[in-house]
Amino acid sequence: MKVIINFFVLYLVVFTTYSQETISGMVQDNTGVPLAGVTVLIENTTQGTATDFDGNFTIEAQKGDNIVFSYIGFKTARIAITNQKTINLTMVEDSEQLSEVVVTALGIKKEKKALGYASQEVAGNLLEKTKEPTVFGNLTGRVAGLEVNNSTDLFQDPKIVLRGRTNKTLIVIDGIPVDGSESGNTDYFKVLGDDVAQVNVLKGTTASALYGARGRNGAIMITTKKGKSGKINVALNVSTMYQPSFIRSPKVQTVYGNGNQGNYAYIDGSGSGTEGGGWIWGPRVDQEDPSTPSGLFETTQYNSPTDPVTGELIPIPFTSRGKDNIKNFFRTGYIRSVNASADWGSDKSTFRVSLSNVYQQGIVPNTDLNNVSFSLAGSMKPADNVNISGSMTYNKQFTENFPEIGYGPTNYLYNLVLWTGVDVDVRDLKNYWREGQEGVQQRHFNISYYNNPYFQAYEYQRGYDKDNIYGNLSLAYELVPNLTLKARSGINVWSLYRTFKEPKSYIGYGSKSQGNFEQQDANLFDITSDLGLRYEAKFSENFSLETEVAYAHYFKKQIYNSISTDGLTIPGFYNVSNNLGSTLFGENREEKSAIQSFYAYADLNFYNTFYLSLTGRNDKISALPNGNNSYFYPSISGSLIVSELFSKPSWLTFAKLRGGFSQVRDGNYNDNSNGPYSLLQAYGSGTIWNGVPSSSALNVLINPNVRTEIDNTWEIGADLRFFNNRLGIDLAYYNRLTEDTILRVPASDASGYAFRLENGGSTRTKGIEAIINATPLKSETFEWNTSLNLSHYRDYQVSIFGDAERTKNYVRVGERTDQIWDNVYQTNSEGEVVYENGFPVFDPFKRFIGHAAPDLIYGLSNTFKYKNFSLSLLFDGRLGGYMYSITNQKMWWGGKHPGTVNQFRTDANNGESTYVGNGVVVTGGTVTYDVNGNITSDTRTYAPNTEAINYITYNQTTSDRQNHNYHYYVRDYIKLREVTLTYNFGKATLDRLPFSDASLSFVGRNLWLSSTLENVDPEFNDNLQAPATRSLGLNLNLKF
Amino acid sequence: MKIYSIKPLVILLTILLVGCSDIDALQDDPNRTVNANPELLFTHLQIKAFSSNVSLSAALANRQLTNVDGASQYQYYTWQRGNFNAYDNLKQANEMTKEANRTNQDVYRILANFFKSYFIVEISQQFGDVPYTEAAKLTEGINQPVYDTQESIYLQVLEDLKMASTELAATNETISGDIIYGGDKLKWRKLINSYALRVLMSLSTKEGQSTIDVAERFGAIVNNPSQFPIFESNEDAGFINYVDTDKNRYPLNRNNSLQTAYYMEKTFVDKLINLRDPRLFAFAERTPNGVANGLAEDDFNAYGGLLGSAPFSDLAVPATEGNASRIKPRYYEDPINEQGVLMGYAELQFILAEAAERGWISGDVAPFYEAGITASMNYYGIEDEASINTYLNHTGVKLTGANTIAQIMTQKHIALFLNTGWHIFYEQRRTGFPVYDTSGGGTGNGGRIPKRFMYPESEINNNNTNLEAAISRQYSAGDDVNATMWLIN
Repeated sequence: MKVIINFFVLYLVVFTTYSQETISGMVQDNTGVPLAGVTVLIENTTQGTATDFDGNFTIEAQKGDNIVFSYIGFKTARIAITNQKTINLTMVEDSEQLSEVVVTALGIKKEKKALGYASQEVAGNLLEKTKEPTVFGNLTGRVAGLEVNNSTDLFQDPKIVLRGRTNKTLIVIDGIPVDGSESGNTDYFKVLGDDVAQVNVLKGTTASALYGARGRNGAIMITTKKGKSGKINVALNVSTMYQPSFIRSPKVQTVYGNGNQGNYAYIDGSGSGTEGGGWIWGPRVDQEDPSTPSGLFETTQYNSPTDPVTGELIPIPFTSRGKDNIKNFFRTGYIRSVNASADWGSDKSTFRVSLSNVYQQGIVPNTDLNNVSFSLAGSMKPADNVNISGSMTYNKQFTENFPEIGYGPTNYLYNLVLWTGVDVDVRDLKNYWREGQEGVQQRHFNISYYNNPYFQAYEYQRGYDKDNIYGNLSLAYELVPNLTLKARSGINVWSLYRTFKEPKSYIGYGSKSQGNFEQQDANLFDITSDLGLRYEAKFSENFSLETEVAYAHYFKKQIYNSISTDGLTIPGFYNVSNNLGSTLFGENREEKSAIQSFYAYADLNFYNTFYLSLTGRNDKISALPNGNNSYFYPSISGSLIVSELFSKPSWLTFAKLRGGFSQVRDGNYNDNSNGPYSLLQAYGSGTIWNGVPSSSALNVLINPNVRTEIDNTWEIGADLRFFNNRLGIDLAYYNRLTEDTILRVPASDASGYAFRLENGGSTRTKGIEAIINATPLKSETFEWNTSLNLSHYRDYQVSIFGDAERTKNYVRVGERTDQIWDNVYQTNSEGEVVYENGFPVFDPFKRFIGHAAPDLIYGLSNTFKYKNFSLSLLFDGRLGGYMYSITNQKMWWGGKHPGTVNQFRTDANNGESTYVGNGVVVTGGTVTYDVNGNITSDTRTYAPNTEAINYITYNQTTSDRQNHNYHYYVRDYIKLREVTLTYNFGKATLDRLPFSDASLSFVGRNLWLSSTLENVDPEFNDNLQAPATRSLGLNLNLKF
Repeated sequence: MKIYSIKPLVILLTILLVGCSDIDALQDDPNRTVNANPELLFTHLQIKAFSSNVSLSAALANRQLTNVDGASQYQYYTWQRGNFNAYDNLKQANEMTKEANRTNQDVYRILANFFKSYFIVEISQQFGDVPYTEAAKLTEGINQPVYDTQESIYLQVLEDLKMASTELAATNETISGDIIYGGDKLKWRKLINSYALRVLMSLSTKEGQSTIDVAERFGAIVNNPSQFPIFESNEDAGFINYVDTDKNRYPLNRNNSLQTAYYMEKTFVDKLINLRDPRLFAFAERTPNGVANGLAEDDFNAYGGLLGSAPFSDLAVPATEGNASRIKPRYYEDPINEQGVLMGYAELQFILAEAAERGWISGDVAPFYEAGITASMNYYGIEDEASINTYLNHTGVKLTGANTIAQIMTQKHIALFLNTGWHIFYEQRRTGFPVYDTSGGGTGNGGRIPKRFMYPESEINNNNTNLEAAISRQYSAGDDVNATMWLIN
């Protein structure tokens, strides 16, 4: 490759130059540390290079050329060539270090110091080395106020919470919103990390006000890589990360096997005795029994041989052969990522091509995910006053099968861990058809409630095939000096084909399948276009103005259709023509929506010290009724560079205060089944009975005059830098009042409707964020950088629709909205649980359990650089807030929790009732409640509960919830999210290799977890999640 | 000069990039309809009223089945709250009326009154006083409907049913979307009047205690068959035929729990064995031991049950010993299985038998009673007259005149096995027969059988004042499952 490039360079040299001189030199900063990667370019040409790791460069130039040195954070230097052969340059740090330019709403680049709101960048190179299923996973722990919860399951969206709002963050690629962002249906998989140059998180409404309602909950702005002026860059980035082990998986007891009340005998797998209940409350495994041939307790099991004479099953030893079922079933997953890219540019045009392939093998056998992208980006300047740029990405996500999630028989852990005793070895289940009933009946120890995991993996197939095309084209045309016409358009197009293949005898919740095939087709087109006039004026050194007035248009069309069978005639033949039933079932939908907007902004700069920004936007939206569907909202923000106001002490480098207020009105409401028509009252189609159709009114009564909901947010912040930027502190406080929230207000069921859709109630969110950056150590060979980010928020009820006393979530005005209420047991005034017949008695009223929101979200990253090595560590986690753990509850319920192994259980297996619950019994008197569940009179007298009951029945009835806070657990955790150890090859090595730059990294993700909650990873909601894996791998990054 | 060469490109790009579409054209939902023909709502109401009366919970509470897989609140009488979901059906009936008025098809308004009556009784008998006059009127702005007294609800229902039958006789309009009677108005009148008799019988304890003259109203229907026709056979009964198509199947079809976790209840099986009732063979499967010993399907010795009142921990082992019958496989294997029942002909005959016994109508109890049993036998495919007659003359079946009500209720209890929803529970509540077993030591609620459901918790949040008023005027000890509502007071 280098040879080819050399030829190319030679070609240029021969045809474009004469009397070339070789100039070399070294670039360093003011402390003498060499600067690697400084762009060295001959002005007005495409000739250029970059400094190597030691700051050295060599370039051909001729007398009269200007060589331009540029590097982020430093002032650009321009040196004219006279007769010198060597240039040793000390670059000067940009005095404020903050003429960093960041990408803000609509892709507008602004100086960071001018911003009146909080935003935080993540450099693209942090996304290159370690691979998460989505690039958003790589943001975990890096941005204050942004909580990214990554699912442990394959091909599941991360949960993104920005300033307390879940999965509503607008995702913007190169200035164009990704489809579905406003409805919470974002495709998080379509951007691949290798194409990302920078991510900027606009945290609040003020920041994203120009996106209107779509940007109301903040925005994650992704800027993709573009060609750079200068030389040709070819890069190859290869990563492989294996998931060899788990950091968290359910720890289950291995002492007792399948069965109930200590008994187990397999008969036919569908409940003719103890086998069928599906409990794991059976006999002890590996029990000695001298009376049997094996010397161990024996009973009939699903794989017992049949006596050829009697035709009956022969008992076999009941042993702990399934101890390692988790390890034996799950395989090593991995993510393999390859990206190749090339870019090139001149002062007239730039061009970049990139090809990425990310392949993920799931830990469940026969599951995987392919994610392939091909992208083009370019720009050109056909005339001095015209700039045209654009990019286009084709992305394809496809798999023949990925696992279904959620608690139930479709979940692998359900079948493998929760509801399989240690007496069943999953390896014995690989042969998953019942002999003689291939294709019709799966072979399993229980065919009423559970699926054989291998049967599920190889026969129950969920295919997914999505083609994404997205891109944008923009034009800037300077009509007269300082007045520019801007036009831009971005599109998202996708088509999705999904298949669901369900084999005969597959167990769904409650029923057994006759086989089924369903296919779904969906496609989407959306286009966002802006046409604006931009005016820039610098009236003096001390006053400048930038302003733009624009019209924006958004249109979206989505089509969905599906068809499914009613059973299958021929097993394993998945086509709708193979329908067993008399009719096929189908559905089709078409959704169109549009928003027409005018917006304007003005940015004012006074003395480079005070910045003021004003925005205004008017939307007209198709989703709201006429009369209410056109509305205006403004924002104002400013920043003051305090350190410019006085002669600052030497330890203070920079100080800025910022503040802003914004209003956003939002008329989008999506009830998840009717899309943009969710505010229209209409009939639903009903069951067709024997060919006769039916229809019914839905259970929500929609106010025909629904208005927009309104966010009024103000925020303030400070950005302080000390000791020549060695220490930086950024603080933010925000206060968001949400009024006229469009929501389902509960109605009395007796009113005929469960809900009314109204502008009902208001809430206020208050939050703080802090970012502390420091470089505690820095020398020529060693550098330590550390960054800590912290965030905290609370959401309060301000008013309730119709002045009701409580919301449907039991929240009163003034209280936090994240309250958890649930059914609990009756207690006396001492808090002791009331028992009857040995069992705790339920309180007929739901009671408060705790709050769900975290007290603190934190992330701590450290980077150490020593010579050619760099090591970075990232920790993150949260403190406070409760979550429900269905995994733990079911482990107690079903008999799998190690805590169930005790004397009471032994007694219960022996038919003895010895468990006495901790509580009291009522010996006399009565209690009465008022309508709200408050006790109005209580004459009850108590005695300690002494009634011994069967321990197994106790758990089957209560899941031992009394002793586990009703299975709500504190969600504190800390994770070692990432470790990256990188070796950057030095110049001496590189000279012998065809690379201009090369690095090799050992990378690890999710390496360690500590939490109070056991058995599940508290990072993600527990709906019986897959085990959390540890990822380890290598990354090789080569630049030619 | 360069500028001129660029201009066309700029203009073209600008036009391409900024499109336009009309907001107003995008405001209607192409996927749903704003108006519906009344017959579409009529079909919906029929599905709701007829097809979902197969309740395993009721079979547990009524000591017909026993669940060995979990300690059911119905089996152990520890339930607390019910729900108001059925008000949705009242709303659908109102919508049907609205669409009937819109399309000038009065017959659907008349039918809507039957469904409203049916569903409000279904609700009221669970709780006592419930909203009715102001119920399902959110579209008229009533967000928090007041609770009507149960007496006023029943009175209104009886008036509405009477009016519906009369109006239906008068109208010439045709009925479409009829999945029950194929548009036969006479049969709808028979159902309405038969149902009115059920409502009146459910008020038996109010005889002479209410402004509703129960006996007189009952006689007025039975004695005037041309004006108030009632069922004359199973052909007229309120049955729905299940169809082997998704969502049209027998509700328990392919239900794994039914196959795995449910057994026949012992007292129920023992009663059927004692009475030598051939319907046992239609309900239950032989016990494993019965099969192993080669006993025939019509051998009563091949059947057994598990005691529903036994402590839950005592059920697992007996279930494995092979002496308990599971339900007949047709209930989970046959997608059509048997007809869904809103109200059967057998039930009507038992009502008439009870009315005769109470002296509300003239005539002997026995012919009604025997017709009821025969209709039930026929429902289960037992048509052989000789065996039916044998049964009718069996000790315990044949009326002795001593415990007539108990005998009628016992037969009703058998005939309503897994059909007609929770109705037999309310009938047992009213009469005390048959006596439900609580002897096993496992039942909660202080050994009592609850008399009602507590009001749904959502009403506390959403209709607090009216709920509080209703509770305080009815139940001095508050909202309690053991409190006695007006209907059975």
